[in-house]
Amino acid sequence: MIAEDVFVAYIRKAMPDSEVSLVDKTGMMDHFRVRIVSEAFAGKNLLDRHRLVQQSLDEPMKDGRIHALEIKAHTPEEFATL
Amino acid sequence: MENLIEEEIKKEIKENKILIYGKGSKMMPMCGFTKETIEFFDRYGYPFELIDVLRNMEKRETLSKMTNWPTLPKVFIDGEFYGDTDILDEMATKGEIEPLLKKAFAPAE
Repeated sequence: MIAEDVFVAYIRKAMPDSEVSLVDKTGMMDHFRVRIVSEAFAGKNLLDRHRLVQQSLDEPMKDGRIHALEIKAHTPEEFATL
Repeated sequence: MENLIEEEIKKEIKENKILIYGKGSKMMPMCGFTKETIEFFDRYGYPFELIDVLRNMEKRETLSKMTNWPTLPKVFIDGEFYGDTDILDEMATKGEIEPLLKKAFAPAE
């Protein structure tokens, strides 16, 4: 169980410019779909983008506050064309 | 000295064109994501191997260290690491999976 603002704070620590939108998939606040838009993803392939997000959430994933995470990671330019 | 588990993993990756490290078995997946990954590859009809590491913490840690990827399932195609269905689904929408699997199973010229 993790609150949205805590979740976003973790991501912003690693990617200060990021726009984060969070969907609680099961109503238990531990299975999430998150969409992150940040310049930090520029030039990174899919795997490395996911690694970057996982590293920023390493603590809450390790202690189980986040059980499952579906990640969508885009740069602002990509997001504008979606 | 590369530890034994790393050698075991490298051998498994080489021996299986499509290899999933996950929780449970094909008949009895113990986690929704492992089940999702099985269903993903069922759609393509190529043979794949699922290795259950649910209770093998040491192997799981070695895998996470080798791939710099903390979660299960972990998918390897043709010896390359591809994360999980998060990555595979996005690749599938761009039509990148079919050619990748075709190449993996193509007889060596």
